[in-house]
Amino acid sequence: MRFAAVSLLVAAGCLFVPGRAAAIPPDAPPTGMVCTPGTVAGSTHTFNLTAQTGYIDTPDGNSVFMWSYAEAGGHFQSPGPVLCVTQGQTVVVNLTDNLPEPASIVFPGQDAAVTASGGAAGLLTTEAAAGGGTVQYSFVAGSPGTYLYESGTDIAKQLEMGLYGALIIRPAAGPGYAYGTSTAFDPSREYLLLLSEIDSDLHHAVETGAAYDVNARRDRYFAVNGREFPDTIQDNGSSLLPNQPYGALVRIQPTTSTTAPALIRMINVGALNHPFHPHGNHTTQIAQDGRLLPAPVEHFGETIAAGQTLDFLLRWDDQDNWDPSTNPLPVPPPNYRDVFFKDSNTWYAGSPYLGRKGILPTGVVSQNICGEWYFPWHSHALNEFTNYDQGFGGMATLLRVDPPGGCFAAPTSATPLGSVLKSGTVTGLAADDTSYYAVNPRTTTRPSATTAAQTSITVASATGFPATNGYYVRIDNEVLRVTAGAGTATWTVQRGQLGTTAATHASGAVVSALATDLTAGFTGVPAGSQHLRVTYKGANCATTTATTCTALTTNLPQQTVKICDWTVGGAAGCSTPASPGWVTLPAPPAQPQGVGSTEVGATWTLPSAAAYLNAGQVRVLVHTERYTSPAPAAFSTWGNLLALSYDAP
Amino acid sequence: MHVRKGALVLALVAVGVCAPSPASAAPVTITLCALPGTATMAGGANVPIWGFATGCANPGLPGPVLSVTVGDTVAITVTNALPAGHPLTFEAPGITFDPGPDSAPPGGTVTRTFTASAPGTYLYQSGGDAGRQAAMGLSGALIVRPATAPTDYDVEAPLVLSAVDPAFNAAPETFDMHAYRATYWLINGKSYPDTAPGITAAGGQRVLLRYLNAGYDNTTMTMLGMHGRVVARDARPVAGALDVTAETIPAGATEDAIVTVPAGAGPSPHGFPLYNRQQHLTNGPQTATGPAPATGGGPLKTTTEDHH
Ligand SMILES: [Cu+2]
Repeated sequence: MRFAAVSLLVAAGCLFVPGRAAAIPPDAPPTGMVCTPGTVAGSTHTFNLTAQTGYIDTPDGNSVFMWSYAEAGGHFQSPGPVLCVTQGQTVVVNLTDNLPEPASIVFPGQDAAVTASGGAAGLLTTEAAAGGGTVQYSFVAGSPGTYLYESGTDIAKQLEMGLYGALIIRPAAGPGYAYGTSTAFDPSREYLLLLSEIDSDLHHAVETGAAYDVNARRDRYFAVNGREFPDTIQDNGSSLLPNQPYGALVRIQPTTSTTAPALIRMINVGALNHPFHPHGNHTTQIAQDGRLLPAPVEHFGETIAAGQTLDFLLRWDDQDNWDPSTNPLPVPPPNYRDVFFKDSNTWYAGSPYLGRKGILPTGVVSQNICGEWYFPWHSHALNEFTNYDQGFGGMATLLRVDPPGGCFAAPTSATPLGSVLKSGTVTGLAADDTSYYAVNPRTTTRPSATTAAQTSITVASATGFPATNGYYVRIDNEVLRVTAGAGTATWTVQRGQLGTTAATHASGAVVSALATDLTAGFTGVPAGSQHLRVTYKGANCATTTATTCTALTTNLPQQTVKICDWTVGGAAGCSTPASPGWVTLPAPPAQPQGVGSTEVGATWTLPSAAAYLNAGQVRVLVHTERYTSPAPAAFSTWGNLLALSYDAP
Repeated sequence: MHVRKGALVLALVAVGVCAPSPASAAPVTITLCALPGTATMAGGANVPIWGFATGCANPGLPGPVLSVTVGDTVAITVTNALPAGHPLTFEAPGITFDPGPDSAPPGGTVTRTFTASAPGTYLYQSGGDAGRQAAMGLSGALIVRPATAPTDYDVEAPLVLSAVDPAFNAAPETFDMHAYRATYWLINGKSYPDTAPGITAAGGQRVLLRYLNAGYDNTTMTMLGMHGRVVARDARPVAGALDVTAETIPAGATEDAIVTVPAGAGPSPHGFPLYNRQQHLTNGPQTATGPAPATGGGPLKTTTEDHH
């Protein structure tokens, strides 16, 4: 019993092990600012923080000793948690100081009184004692905006060591505004860029208890959100950087007159002023230190001072709309023989056109997913654009401009699954144009005559017809339902279905499936892609032979677009039109849709992506059937555009 | 709620306002002398300086605050009492002097004249010895006041920012300036705790902070518990409501900001701190395992509130 009790205790203990696996919630988005939730009770928003020691990793393989704020009971992180509160809330921050000297928090820019309880009076604020002392700060969140919080104790040492973080006050107007209603932004594109510097020699001296001279500081690492480039462009919560949870990749799609800009919140928690310089577009500064500017100012680069915060709106309006066919660049791209790809590795797509990929020289690896563009954003003090004097690195990140609507993919294969190819190839589905991929219903013949009462019929071939019972075929103007024998050439049928009348049919009569099915496959979709969107546009035309689309305006064929769920039977689960893996794309728009000779285009969005992605493959089925009485007739399905777009990881 | 007059006078004395401004435009004569002296740094170290004084004794770090009024015809006569070999050039960026000599040889004098025009905060300094004289402390504040008394502030505080490398000050003629490394950062020649008593104002009063960067690097100052409204840079007005907590004063530049002191005690036990945000909050050479003084130093000043 004693052993049992011990193991029970161990098991119970496991349940209460303090500390989380990661510093940010597991469902945090891969890019963009991540708030630490804290706890909200009524109008009081509470954060429990510790000041503690830990380590960060730098891209050159170094490991640097840091002091930082972290969530109490949580994972060490640098910089400290992003505290997001709403204007008017009472903010309570409980600090436990696990450092070997007193520590504190000041809240620059909070003009309402910050009251402190516990602790002891220090130079700038009330401090928590070393080795587990506590202090509680509380204030009413005032004007909305971007602020920092940082140590008010032994500043020359503690700020250098990393005791800082971001404080975001959201306006009562809602999360889509930075300040007042003049500052609307897209809440899914809210970015924080927090700048800092590290003199690793000082950190080593603090770690080993050695003497050091703060006046001899020479910074070797320059960080955005606690990471140095290229680590800055790794996802939020990347397992490669367990103590540096915040990525700094800025992503945008071309903005339009109806879309809101991205918001870039910048904070300089370091000791140096940094001339931060975006490429790819100017940014519009709207605020400093949590207050709107008298008027917005456009910047090609702006120096952010130590302790300052600056807010920028970022738009990326495609002024030129370069297109290889309709609006080609006025100059040809450089010849590859004149281009050097450093380390045979590039972000370049091989095409200068947004959303297009081209061919790169043999041996060059492209990090480009779907023709997106990358622009560096960096400190223009170029010594800060390094990691321990090695460029490029340091205080830099990338702006990634994704193609409009995200990554776009055209199918790489098309198959008239259970149908007959009428005309076209897979490239007919790549664009909304005049080339089509057209299929007809599967047909066979009856080698002998058919009576009106006959319920067992033999066909010349069952190839391509469904292998499961319950489907409809047509002979002349009569619809028959196959109830047994599917997959063989001899079928048990019900006669005169769907409002038609059983009739006699001559020897050699054509037996035609009531439905068309075409499937197309996409490849190269990266794992981790989100928000799959399937677009299909096409028509159904009234004959199976005409080379132009014959009008079909009544008794419209019913079209259902489906996607392969690979978790159901793998590839086999989607091998026939009736396979169980096919999942109807969810509304809106609802399916089936009636589609005649007037083309219908629609886009369906999938809430999650994982089940529909298999080693980069996505498969889509367009199933169209027509059985409405009184006069079933042949039709052909003309696919114009079948496309996949997605948010690449 | 009113200003504690005594403390206010004390603060003004501390920054050495002289040359009383006349009520209307008038000829104003100012005499200055540049001479060697000594400044005591926080912690007690005595550092040789070259500074300005109204007479040829007790030079200040910085020099006296000069105050004139728009329309005044101003004549500043400077006596060069620096050691031999150091001609002095008197300049005030932003002020257009009348034509005439700008330099005084050792033992000589120079008189520079101008008619005060745009009101605001100007830095005066010596341009001699390619910056070495300014680095030794030859600088100060020149305030041009509007013809009618301003109503947008209640208390003013000139804040001359500078830095000292004692090794340079000990050998200003021979020191290798590439090796210059400041160890003291100063407001009006002082670092904390010698900056006490700070600025005294009542809750609700508006304090005009006149920043002048007489130092060698761009200096970022921050404040706790309040925003300041930037009203002028380099003695030219800034339009609109530009409210800030952290501002960079470029080397050689001036900036005027008005803070309205909130009611209440302030975030620090000492009031509302104003300090160098570039972490220059130490005094003198640093040789220990933690910054000295441990209680904090450097360019830190507080606005303390007066409760009545
Ligand atoms: Cu650049």
